[in-house]
Amino acid sequence: MKKTLLSLLVACSTSVIAAQPYEFGVTLQGYDGSATSSVSYGGQIARHALHNSLKKVAGTGDQAQMNTYFSSTEAGRVILDPVSKDGFPVKQSSIDELSSGKDLLSSAYDGVITGWPGNPTGQELLEQLVDAAAKTKAGYDPVNGYDYVQLISKFAMGAVFYNKAVNHYLEEKLEADQHPNNEAYKPGTAYTGKEHVWDEAFGYFGAPANGLSLSAKEVVQITKQNPEVFAKADANGDGVVDLKSEMAFAHAYYAASVDASAGTNYFHTIMQAFVDGRQLISDAKGKALTDAQRTELKECAAVIATAWQQVIAEAAFKYAGSVYADLEKIAVIEEAHGDVSKAYRNYVKHWGELKGFALALEAAGRDLGNAQAGLDRLIGFSPVLFGDAQVVALDGNGGFVQANAGPMQEYKLNMIKVQNLLAQSFALKAKLNDKTAGMSDVLEQLNAAAQSAEND
Amino acid sequence: MLESYLTWLMEELAAAGSSLLDLRKRVSLWYLLSAVGFAFVVFYWRYGKHGWQRLLPYVSPKVWLSRSSRTDVGLWLCNRLLLALLIPKTLTHALWISGLYYYWQKQGLTPLGLGWSTTWVMVLFTFCYVIADDFSRFFTHWCLHKIPVLWAFHQVHHSALVLTPFTVFRTHPVEGGLFFIRSLCVQSVLVSVFLVLFPNQVSLWQIYGVLVTTFLFNVLGANLRHSMVVLSYGPRIEKWLISPAQHQIHHSTDVAHYDRNFGVLLAIWDRLFKTWLPGSDQQTLKFGTGRAIDRSGVIGHWWIPMMDCADVIRHGVVKRCRNLKKRLTIREP
Repeated sequence: MKKTLLSLLVACSTSVIAAQPYEFGVTLQGYDGSATSSVSYGGQIARHALHNSLKKVAGTGDQAQMNTYFSSTEAGRVILDPVSKDGFPVKQSSIDELSSGKDLLSSAYDGVITGWPGNPTGQELLEQLVDAAAKTKAGYDPVNGYDYVQLISKFAMGAVFYNKAVNHYLEEKLEADQHPNNEAYKPGTAYTGKEHVWDEAFGYFGAPANGLSLSAKEVVQITKQNPEVFAKADANGDGVVDLKSEMAFAHAYYAASVDASAGTNYFHTIMQAFVDGRQLISDAKGKALTDAQRTELKECAAVIATAWQQVIAEAAFKYAGSVYADLEKIAVIEEAHGDVSKAYRNYVKHWGELKGFALALEAAGRDLGNAQAGLDRLIGFSPVLFGDAQVVALDGNGGFVQANAGPMQEYKLNMIKVQNLLAQSFALKAKLNDKTAGMSDVLEQLNAAAQSAEND
Repeated sequence: MLESYLTWLMEELAAAGSSLLDLRKRVSLWYLLSAVGFAFVVFYWRYGKHGWQRLLPYVSPKVWLSRSSRTDVGLWLCNRLLLALLIPKTLTHALWISGLYYYWQKQGLTPLGLGWSTTWVMVLFTFCYVIADDFSRFFTHWCLHKIPVLWAFHQVHHSALVLTPFTVFRTHPVEGGLFFIRSLCVQSVLVSVFLVLFPNQVSLWQIYGVLVTTFLFNVLGANLRHSMVVLSYGPRIEKWLISPAQHQIHHSTDVAHYDRNFGVLLAIWDRLFKTWLPGSDQQTLKFGTGRAIDRSGVIGHWWIPMMDCADVIRHGVVKRCRNLKKRLTIREP
């Protein structure tokens, strides 16, 4: 009986610790303002709202509207997504309520993206995609096989959110001379340098502050604004969902979505590491972090960066499987002399998602080894189109050049190779839509042979 | 440049050293010790309290510090560095298996849909893998002895004058490449076919991350094959499993022992190919090739086989030319 009670107590205390929200008091020494919270990542949530809204307008092909949410910093922009729905009211309706003067373009990755013709930088590629989307009907280019809504959205999430968090805040900004913890981030703020650096990275992940007390399925439904989870989403019970702290965006949604389907634990792993890291900074009580503390903080950052990268790779893996399935459907419809337009539309959509996530992996300055070249070559610059053509380059005017790529159906083999490459290179666990019949697991077992030349 | 090269060098050597604790490697300390334990029990059972003395050659400094033994270790480390540069890593298998997996489906191969449990599929796949792997090893080994160009390289393994567990690494890099191709062929075909027939159910039966048969083979004294400890499994078992004593016969300089016992795990292949010989605890053998290579170092073991291979090819060409000339001469009026 005693043992049972004890284990119950331990279990309860563990769950209490595990369900800690991302809320932390002021620790800045000498602060005499009225703020009680040191957490602040409104600018990042503003960019999430910009991204969601950009995705909405990308489907209209209206360049002026797209630029409003992509490169403009003007005041008075209305949030197009998420907006209040029956049973799921949202607190903010304008970008300025989250943060003013924010855009997506200037925060995007400025390194080279090798997976797109012409080797543009991440920023140039986003600009190209937005410009090209404006020249299409509803963001869809059937001639070259591009769904710009998907390409822009999936790549932007990587080039802005993943890049800024992993390549910037959880990397160089953790050094001792960058925004030290014994100083305010900026004069007048209630938070220290390191507190805000960490918060900004968390903001880009896009998880609700009470993420640890939510299941993966609940997080997914919050993004979908399902009224059934409103009570869970509205953590402070004020009757509205605050986008700043109660909504799930971008990769937090994808992490939870993968977990909900496959039973993996990406969302909570990342969330827990963010909470642990922030607690460590809070525990320093406004003093500069010691080398040992920063080492521990970097360990949390490494957990986040690895799992975040895996989430993006898992999404690419899943859509490679969708592209494979679409090609199978196209073959069946073609054989029956049916109308392939709907199946082809899905093929282009899923390819856009695959390519967007694959490009996102390149957009954070992390060394992908030979996986980067492998993904670029196997996925190509476009899906293989009817007539067995594929985009291979840009011409002098920025137009796409197509060439023969071999039979369209053979592109399925590339998808199998893409899935294997992703599974092996990023140690994937969920592997949704696996079209390899579980090949990577067997390969892992067989890799025991290693490199020694052993005789018999 | 130099710094990154040195880092790579140290990493590769450290990885080689880690084999000593890696259960997937035959020379792991656990298997080196388990071999002693296994032999100790067998010898005690057969020869009583003095049986342990038969294990003394296993730890003899004379054996371990000999030039032959030092060459074993030299080849192990040097080959590893060379093969790390020459042999493409991990993804090669994935590409081949992906290609074949897709090819079989295009040829009309479909899942069997027998409704078998994953456990049964695992057992069947493991059985087929062990059989295919063991036979391919046997056949490759048979070819290495029977084809002169290949023997030029395989003589490196037979140049050992004393046997230690590290003789397993006494291999020419070209032969290492052949082993890589063998494993690529067997794994690609078998895995790709099974993946089509039993999608999402294929796995190997493993213990501590090691194939079950490899684990048992290693625990039960695989390292004794390359040692000066003579252990026979007895005539009945040796008809089915290759004992350390049988493999030592394979290394013997005695003409009567040439081209015998090519098998690794199973003895059935040797019986099929009429190359089987039983072993005995009482056998006394000499090892080596009886040629200069026996006493050369790492460089010699890399270089001499290349020269021998060139000689074999040259002689073959000269012989063919002579035969052709003879035939043409006979036809002339």
